[in-house]
Amino acid sequence: MTLFLQSVFAGLTNGFVYALVGLGIAVVFRGTRIINAMQGEFALIGGLMAYLVIERLGLSLPVATVGGVFAGGLLGVLTELFLVRPTRRRGGTEESYLLLTLGIAFAISAGVLYLFGRDSRLVPGIGGEASALIFDAVIRTHAIWLMIIATTVMVLLWLFYHRTHIGLSMMAASIDEDGAATIGIDVARMRTLTFLLGGLVGGLAGVLLAPLTTVHYEMGLLLTLKGFAAAILGGLTNPFGAIVGGVTLGLLESIAVLTVSSGYKDVIAMAILILIMIVLPHGMLGRGSRRGG
Amino acid sequence: MSQHSEPLLGVARVTRRNPAPTVLAAIVTAVALWGLIPLFVGRGVIDLLVFAGIYTIAGLGVTFLLGQCGIVSLAQSAFYGIGAYSAAYCTTQLGWPAPAGLSIGIALSAALACAVGWPILRLSGYFLALATLALAIIAHVLFVEWDWLTGGTLGIGGIPPLEPFGLRIDTPTRFYYLVWPLALLLLFLHANLLRSRMGFAMRALRDAPNAAAVVGIDVHMLKVKVFILSAVLGSLAGTLFAHYVSFVSVDAFGIDRAIAFLLIAVLGGARTIAGPMLGALFVTIVPYALSSFGDIHAVLFAVALIVAVIFLPDGFGGRLSRLLRRRGA
Repeated sequence: MTLFLQSVFAGLTNGFVYALVGLGIAVVFRGTRIINAMQGEFALIGGLMAYLVIERLGLSLPVATVGGVFAGGLLGVLTELFLVRPTRRRGGTEESYLLLTLGIAFAISAGVLYLFGRDSRLVPGIGGEASALIFDAVIRTHAIWLMIIATTVMVLLWLFYHRTHIGLSMMAASIDEDGAATIGIDVARMRTLTFLLGGLVGGLAGVLLAPLTTVHYEMGLLLTLKGFAAAILGGLTNPFGAIVGGVTLGLLESIAVLTVSSGYKDVIAMAILILIMIVLPHGMLGRGSRRGG
Repeated sequence: MSQHSEPLLGVARVTRRNPAPTVLAAIVTAVALWGLIPLFVGRGVIDLLVFAGIYTIAGLGVTFLLGQCGIVSLAQSAFYGIGAYSAAYCTTQLGWPAPAGLSIGIALSAALACAVGWPILRLSGYFLALATLALAIIAHVLFVEWDWLTGGTLGIGGIPPLEPFGLRIDTPTRFYYLVWPLALLLLFLHANLLRSRMGFAMRALRDAPNAAAVVGIDVHMLKVKVFILSAVLGSLAGTLFAHYVSFVSVDAFGIDRAIAFLLIAVLGGARTIAGPMLGALFVTIVPYALSSFGDIHAVLFAVALIVAVIFLPDGFGGRLSRLLRRRGA
């Protein structure tokens, strides 16, 4: 029973990480209709920046968190301005955006390998190594904070998109470009802001997951795929969906680890991803939500 | 209609000499020159060119999918691995002759491509591409985990060289004369296929899927067929690779290899006949030229992919043939 509960906790924690990544993918998809295959790299850069701030500059965890989140945001803005925008100007198709973001993901991953090597880097978590005991099963304090923060981010994003002028403008700009431009929305700027927001969420995911899984150059791609699975499982444009999807994926994964073998964890997650896309392309909560809005 | 469609075979190799009017003569010359290369260069270069030949075959599979069906496939490393491990396992563990390993690899790849392709090829765009990436990851993990079959990270060594008609292909030069005629033959067959009824159907499917469905092309079936063909090419290349290097381990079938194969297609030009060859030469020669700088080539590959997507939507091949056509006109 304890073992089962333990793996449920692990699944929940991983699930919220996937949810955060999925949330970022959903943000970018909402604002630009692009599936961002480099969302996991935002997390990689965010986590790496947090590590550098703490280890190289010797600053505190809150500063590192802010640094990591902003590193993700900055990467998002730069990506949009210098790479996505030129592709769009030349008539970007679905496949060219995908190849582009995949290319950026590979470039960042290879660049981190080249500059920082193969090591896994550990970042201290909120509350250090402290943990709570629930029915004999251990859960890190940091993991609890991660769930709280992820949920908060999700609620804030919902409020942002539904209650603020700029959030509504961003949605309008992606749903009907010409219409949005007619009523005075700067569509290009909204797209940049979308990538900024996606980068910030991705950077936050990186900072939060770094204490649990360490930061290493290869983490981005799998995170992207699992985040993507979370996002479509919940319905791509439904912000609450990402959490539902992420937690479902995390739990399935940890139950599979418990019953099969830990070596097959990624096999199972990837098989689930493929299955979801075939069986539930609109997600568990969705109704045609692939089209967005 | 067929006039403007695809650039001619080998167009890239005849740039400096006479273009359009004497294309056939130029191709013959180029092929002859290509055949003479091993007489003038060192063993290291021949080795690179052999790899370029193997990658041309695997890359042709990806190119075919991307150029004719608009499908971004990152799963080629999986089929490449299946081909290599089939050859390795059948020849070293079971002691079977090489053709058995080759056929088993091809049969397995085709069966897998059919079984997996059938459901996932109903997806499109992002979904399909990410599904193939997921497939490549699954395959890579299984190659590591099933160590009773693949030797895991230790790999399988001692794979014998190929011996077609009693001739041992055990030097890079001999392998060069095996792999390049094969690669050129496959490029030629590919060009022929594009001019066939199936080729037109594929182009219709790519450019106007709804119209293709309306005129009675079984879109899904066609995609599955192309996917199987692509997997077979990947498996064939994998088998050749295993027999050439005589040792296989999981490192050769990771995601970076899938990226390299995709890069061959994107960079060479997915709609150009000679594209895979150009892409394969780039993918093999660049890491070699940059080897003194450490692992920088991985960064460069990714950057090349980005640059190609933004600035060279038709790849090297597309750019070259456009230049040629302009000069010829």
